[in-house]
Amino acid sequence: MKRLIIIYTLVIGTLFTGCDDYLDVNTDPNNPTVVPANLILPVAQVYTASWLAGNRRMNHLGNMFMYNWSESAGYSWYNDEFQYRANATTFYSALFDQAYTIALKQYAELDKLDDTYLAYKAMGTIMKSYTFQLLVDLYGDIPYSEALQRSGNNTPKYDGAQGIYDDLIVKLTEAIDQLNTAGSLATYIIPEDDDAMFGGDLDAWKQFANSLKLRILTRERAAKGDAYVTAELAVITAEGSGFMTSNVVINPGYLNETNKQSPFFAAFGEDVTGTEVNNGKATCATDYIITYMQNTNDTRIDYLYEEPGTGHLGVQQGITSSNATQSPELVSNIGPGLLMSSSQDVIIMTAAEIYFNQAELALAGLGGDPEALYNSGIAASFSTLGADGAAAYSVQNVNNVSYAASADKLEAIITQKWLAVNGITAEQSWFDLSRTGFPANLPISVEVANLERPFRLSYPASELSTNAANVPSQPDVFTTKIFWGN
Amino acid sequence: MKRILLLSFMFFFVCAFSAMAQRTVSGNVTDDSGETVPGVNVILKGTTTGTTTDLDGNYRLSVPEDGATLVYSFIGLSTKEIAVGARSVLDVGMASDVQQLTEVVVTGFGIERAPNEVTYQTEKIDSKLLTQGQQQNVAQGLAGKVAGLQINIQDNGVNPQTQILLRGFRSISNNNQAMVVIDGAVASLGAFNNLNPQDIESIDVIKGANAGALYGSRAANGAVIVTTKKGRKGKGFTAGINTSLTFETVAYMPDFQSENGIGWDGAYDPIENTNWGPRFDGVQRQIGPNFPEGYVLDEQMTAYAPIQDNLRDFYETGQTFQNTAYFSGGDETGSFYMSLGNVQTEGIVMDDEYERNTIRVNASKKLGKLKLDLSSSFFTDKTDVVGGSIGDQGRPLYWFVLNTPANIPLSSYKDWDNIASYAHSDNYYNAYYQNPYWGIGTNRNTDETNRLVANMSGAYDVTDNINVSARLGVDRNAGTGRQWRDAQAYNGDIQCCHQAVTSFMEDSEFQRTEVNGNALISGNFNITEDISIKPILGASFIGNSFRGSIIRANNLSIPGFYDVSNGTGIPVVGVNESEKRTYGFFADVTFGFRDWLYLNLAGRQDYTSTLPANDNGYFYPAASLSAILSEAIPSLTDGGILSFAKITLSNATVYNDLDVYALNERFSQGRGGFPFPYGSVNGFEVAGTAVDANISKEKLNTWELGVNLAFLNDRFTLDGSVYNQVTTDLITNTTPSVASGASAFLTNIGQMTTKGMELTLGGNILKVGGFEWNANINYTTYESVIDEIRADIEEIAVANYGGYGVFAIVGEAFPQLKAQSYARDPQGRVIVDAGSGDPVLGEVTPQGKTTPDYIIGVSSSMSFKGFSLAATMDYRTGHVYYEQGSDAMEFTGRSQESVSANRENFVFPNSVIEVGDGVFVENTNLPVSNGRMGFWQNAYNDIKENYVKDATALKIRELSFSYTLPPSVINKVDFLSKVTVGFVGRNLWTQLPEENRFSDPEFQNQGGSDNGVGVGGYFTSPPTRSFGFNLNVEF
Repeated sequence: MKRLIIIYTLVIGTLFTGCDDYLDVNTDPNNPTVVPANLILPVAQVYTASWLAGNRRMNHLGNMFMYNWSESAGYSWYNDEFQYRANATTFYSALFDQAYTIALKQYAELDKLDDTYLAYKAMGTIMKSYTFQLLVDLYGDIPYSEALQRSGNNTPKYDGAQGIYDDLIVKLTEAIDQLNTAGSLATYIIPEDDDAMFGGDLDAWKQFANSLKLRILTRERAAKGDAYVTAELAVITAEGSGFMTSNVVINPGYLNETNKQSPFFAAFGEDVTGTEVNNGKATCATDYIITYMQNTNDTRIDYLYEEPGTGHLGVQQGITSSNATQSPELVSNIGPGLLMSSSQDVIIMTAAEIYFNQAELALAGLGGDPEALYNSGIAASFSTLGADGAAAYSVQNVNNVSYAASADKLEAIITQKWLAVNGITAEQSWFDLSRTGFPANLPISVEVANLERPFRLSYPASELSTNAANVPSQPDVFTTKIFWGN
Repeated sequence: MKRILLLSFMFFFVCAFSAMAQRTVSGNVTDDSGETVPGVNVILKGTTTGTTTDLDGNYRLSVPEDGATLVYSFIGLSTKEIAVGARSVLDVGMASDVQQLTEVVVTGFGIERAPNEVTYQTEKIDSKLLTQGQQQNVAQGLAGKVAGLQINIQDNGVNPQTQILLRGFRSISNNNQAMVVIDGAVASLGAFNNLNPQDIESIDVIKGANAGALYGSRAANGAVIVTTKKGRKGKGFTAGINTSLTFETVAYMPDFQSENGIGWDGAYDPIENTNWGPRFDGVQRQIGPNFPEGYVLDEQMTAYAPIQDNLRDFYETGQTFQNTAYFSGGDETGSFYMSLGNVQTEGIVMDDEYERNTIRVNASKKLGKLKLDLSSSFFTDKTDVVGGSIGDQGRPLYWFVLNTPANIPLSSYKDWDNIASYAHSDNYYNAYYQNPYWGIGTNRNTDETNRLVANMSGAYDVTDNINVSARLGVDRNAGTGRQWRDAQAYNGDIQCCHQAVTSFMEDSEFQRTEVNGNALISGNFNITEDISIKPILGASFIGNSFRGSIIRANNLSIPGFYDVSNGTGIPVVGVNESEKRTYGFFADVTFGFRDWLYLNLAGRQDYTSTLPANDNGYFYPAASLSAILSEAIPSLTDGGILSFAKITLSNATVYNDLDVYALNERFSQGRGGFPFPYGSVNGFEVAGTAVDANISKEKLNTWELGVNLAFLNDRFTLDGSVYNQVTTDLITNTTPSVASGASAFLTNIGQMTTKGMELTLGGNILKVGGFEWNANINYTTYESVIDEIRADIEEIAVANYGGYGVFAIVGEAFPQLKAQSYARDPQGRVIVDAGSGDPVLGEVTPQGKTTPDYIIGVSSSMSFKGFSLAATMDYRTGHVYYEQGSDAMEFTGRSQESVSANRENFVFPNSVIEVGDGVFVENTNLPVSNGRMGFWQNAYNDIKENYVKDATALKIRELSFSYTLPPSVINKVDFLSKVTVGFVGRNLWTQLPEENRFSDPEFQNQGGSDNGVGVGGYFTSPPTRSFGFNLNVEF
């Protein structure tokens, strides 16, 4: 029996020797804890694209609020949109939630890199600025200076909207400086294909940064005064890279595979088998936009809106009855200039908008020829959609079409911008409407009780429950404008 | 069970013979059921002379000529004294001892203790009670039977998921389910669910954290200690079969309106999934789309009238056929038990099938001072059920059933594969949701799994006082699965609105292994006549590893061919592996004083792989005391009312570690919906969960005070306990502001306290002639409150659905349901919008907790001669749940509410309009905006408070009526030793409050270990009841 005891002792002894090694198994074999920069940036850009162009995301919201899109009979897709339910904490709350938890989180990771990756850091800063500006435009005060610290700060404070705008200008200037530094020495690592926007073209990034500054300055000119804008424009001029003259796009190599289609095409176009998605059938032109474009002989209508055999047809926003004459095959769904293919680019800023922003500042006497810039904007819009006849269109003696024939030049610029960003970055025209009141006489959904269009969105439910100490009291979205709107 | 006792009995008793025999008495000892009892101690009173009965219950003893009295004793039976008189043959019938029915308590690693020595509260369930309902799963068989144990049956599929909670919740984010031990070895909940209930001898439930010192962290949630059948020592060979056949039908459907049918916004529309049409008028009308000229079918016509039970008739009668064959036997030194089990189930959903096979082999052998044990089981199952992601929207089956208007003859659409049938996709009436029969035929989810749970142990008596033992166990589970969905295109000329359905197939494989072992040295010493010491020293380890993989191919090229090669594009692949290890050392000492006072001190030092290497060890202690007052103060039992009294007091601390790999934030390749790479561009996403750099273990401390009383010569027992569980530094996935860039923040937070009480009253209510009625009533109450989270966090979302969800909120009971409420004036009247007349949205407010205030369980059994009638019911109340199905179905206009105002505009009852800041006037004439439809779909549906319902339920969970043939009949057939036939019913009756119109509040969408209980709805088919027959034959 002694033998048994010896065996027993041996077994126990063996079981518990080398315990330190025994516990050394806490490394996840499937998910890395360290990832190089070139695997961070493209993910962030893809998320930005989706945040803008996906179903019920930024562009979608803009098209609903700006009366560009409506609903085909047989669907009850847009109950919330037709009631402009921006006072609800769940209404398009993904715009807030996903900005931080998907795209910005990923860009913020680039900040942790060492200076070899200065170019990546600068790109991260530019994209964060792009995103934060849109968040300010949607919500006003937002978490900014204390945001994105993850475990460092669970409840970031809210910063003032105007202060954020000011800081974005500073940050963009810094980013441009960093790009200049990064481009000057071969020791700096520059992205290549992993940059899904410009393929590592630093000049293009600088132009984009300047164009973002332009968007910021245009928006806040009324609040900040011409002197500030002039000074900042001088910084842009001095830097010398200029503005983008083409659309700013994201495309990591979208392809016709499940979940890898271009997000706008996936949302409103076809699934991977080539079948039109229901969302596309449900979504169509409004009566107003069809009439407006027809009355102005706008050839872009065929690109923005599908033309059934029976001709273009739009539907009033807010009609809920099933009127068979407004069924999907009889109405103008989203058109072929917007829905091209699974691999199409996601445009995050149009060249047309950049021209119109310049035109607006030129009109205010801050430099440049407003009419030329206006016409460049129209030309860029036609070109983006693949439409011909920009020149012929813009010389028509029609108010808000030809610059010369327009009674209110600002109205013309903003109205043309509305048409140019239709279906692409339509949220921009909503911000313009809140700021300038143009385009004038835009109809309102028949479902809206108080005949008002919101100026902003409500803070999402998630912030009310997780950041209650910091989130400002919920504004009245129908009366409280963002700072640049006053 | 008596035979198991025999083992310990024979172990410790060596009986001496006396030589002074003058004459001989012999006889046979039987128990209540007439079975002979081997091993009964027969002693001549006043002497040490005695013997024990042999394997057949016979004894023979020399006694003095006159005045001899024999004392018969056996654990579990009442000791009996009989004067021999002049008899030479003395057959004795011994009665069960109610108090001693619990016999021994299995505490840890197979260690058995007499009930008196156990210093904390446990409860034992025997095989008979467990299997009375012929339940397929053990957990189902426990529901309602143990105080403090809450079993939630979370769906009614062919292999339902269950949640096992002892004394409620201790953790917000971590697993709260009880630990499982099978025959002394730690096992998984999966292993528990895979047990054949017929193989179980008994289950000891340790309700508090007291097993923690022996088993480690997992026991913090209490422990369910399963002892499987071991074979009856000395019983020779027994073989038997147990068969049951039960039928399952839908018990009740949601309460629907039947006034309005198919249509939209008040108008008839033949292709709708909604019920917003005009009032029923019985006129023949078209349903479904128009067909082109010369089409294979004419348009479908039906009466515009409600069809009673049109949805209920979709469901079939399911059936479950269970068979177990078992063999057992043993002799002086060894025993064995073997069984083969098979379960075949057809669900209430057409084509849902489940089959399970179990094999168990238990054996034990004693070789001198060495005892070897083997407990092993092998399990296989095969599931073939409808897929969970049907149609272009990827919805569960019940969704399609619910989206069927009141006038649609749903069960007439079975022939979906026939192009000339109205059931065919192109011809089906519903333009938005597909035919559920088509869903069944074109979406399948199949898998096969197997599991080996085995442990072997050896124990060796070094001396009479010292025993060493070691045990090695394995729990290995592996499986493969395949899901697929067929593509479906539509004829756009007929079907206006359907989006084509894309196809996919997904293969999955997994293997999960848990290896655990322990080694013990235990002793048993009497220091003085009054003081005994039973020390245990031990060490144990657990190693878990997992590997799972999936490969998914989309858009299959060849219809009906489900192989990855048949997909287009890059298949989606994923591999998930993990490994976790822990080990620990423990010591446990029980001091006994004069057989009435016991003190237990225990401690454990654990090491884990999931905490930082420099901080991966922790020690936790436990202390407990038990006093048998009826022994200490014998006068207590004077008067004959109180016959036994015991009091226990215990305190235990347990630490819990992190989940595997949770310590570090990890990147993942894209996320759901954004799979990288795109061509040559790869990418990784920052983790959604941020991890506190100082994350550490969490701590649970429990106080428990227990009382065990017996009355009227042990005829009635009353067991009660109160406890206080405090968890601090809870490892929790808190919900930070999304602006922090993290969706969750894993950290240690504040404190949660659970206070509760349990009472169990049991006993023999009536015993008249051959009639006997025993009953057990158990009462469970507890409440967990979040005392503190962190300075900057007021609440944590456990399951947030937007507008409603399950939360942990400081100062509130956990889990707490929150929902979007009505805005109300200070008098509580609903504020309506001055323009639209619709209610204004208020805040998302707490609506109540989702665990009951209390649970009352009742088990009753009556027997008369061979007849026996047993039932188990339970009542849960004081909690709420969210009727997600009701919420989702508001859109379809089939709710009772939607016809409550005759589909007209109406003034919202008891409402006010705000006319100035804080000034409200009663609304007497402003109606809601669109009572025909829009109001219900939007304004009413937005107020999620409308779907928070009282979760009270009274259920008769089990009912069985059986008849055991008397021995006189059985004995006529040589090879038979027992025949029982019975009727069984499960969930035969459920009483729900009037306001709950949808489903069983126990159902839960998430299932499993999720703590977000209290949200259920349309993911699982309607509740069912079962009834059938049972036959048990032994040879």
